[in-house]
Amino acid sequence: MIYEFEGKTEREAIELAASQLGLETDQFDVEILETQSGGLFKKGKVKIRVHTAGNPAAGYPAAGAGISDAEALAKAEKSRAPGRGKGTEERAVKSSLTEAEKLPMDEFETKITQWAAEVVGKMGYPAKVSVLFREEKKIGLKIETDNTSMIIGKKGKNIDALQLLANVFAGTLGRDDIKVILDSENYRIRREESLVRIAYESAEQVRRTGRSILLEPMNPFERRIVHTTLNDIVDIETKSEGEGLYKQVRVMFRGRK
Amino acid sequence: MERDLVEYIVKSLVDDPQAVEIKVIEGEKSTILELKVADTDVGKVIGKNGRIARAIRTILSACANAQSKRVILEILD
Repeated sequence: MIYEFEGKTEREAIELAASQLGLETDQFDVEILETQSGGLFKKGKVKIRVHTAGNPAAGYPAAGAGISDAEALAKAEKSRAPGRGKGTEERAVKSSLTEAEKLPMDEFETKITQWAAEVVGKMGYPAKVSVLFREEKKIGLKIETDNTSMIIGKKGKNIDALQLLANVFAGTLGRDDIKVILDSENYRIRREESLVRIAYESAEQVRRTGRSILLEPMNPFERRIVHTTLNDIVDIETKSEGEGLYKQVRVMFRGRK
Repeated sequence: MERDLVEYIVKSLVDDPQAVEIKVIEGEKSTILELKVADTDVGKVIGKNGRIARAIRTILSACANAQSKRVILEILD
């Protein structure tokens, strides 16, 4: 069977082919028909032709078969359906998990969530605060509001300030053994991912140019992520520079020893 | 409104909430909040290296109204 696909890059076109046909990339042959490389302001385009052995299980309409072929379309719909089914299943699992997180709160949890909701509310953003996770000596709170960007602030400035005060407040409740983490729209996870990406990218650049890079100022928690991410890379060294809470991480090339 | 916010935060942090006083001075472009707490609580609202005071000021600047008018927090001792 022969199919045709189009993508911005060769890889994208092949990946599209693989997902549409429900095959692994090594299960078919690829012939590149047309390559338009992208300019500075223009996106490139790659057309490929895919040759498969026999008729694959997925009923993707073959090239030239005509999109109007109702039967092929119906088949394609059907083949995509299981994927969608899996999606709802995953969602169901996720929602039951959050259901579990909504277990009864003890006195401390009630007080701290109320406090956070009250403070954010008084800032002018009506908010709902709930428990996100519980760990030993750690509690995560989730802030839900229409103005998440204001709650998070530039580089998390506002949510970090709120978190600091929440921890001081926890201390006045006699629970300075517990660390309070505030989050909104998964900011913490997103920030961690972007820090790991920044770390790898700067390591790559340092290796290429041989020059060290000084990253933007970060708080201790963020620096720790950068240090631990690059700790395993043998030829890269990291060091914190500067004074105070917000230091900068320097990424350096150590060379192969 | 900013007054309420500061009052709520400060009262939740100090040992003597009764002694918390806030005076609001409205200016044309800015509002000044003068905060007074019990002598023993001054350290609690300022914090090590002014961390807590800075956090309160950061939150003030993130208020919904603060976009149009500057709010300045002064801690009196």
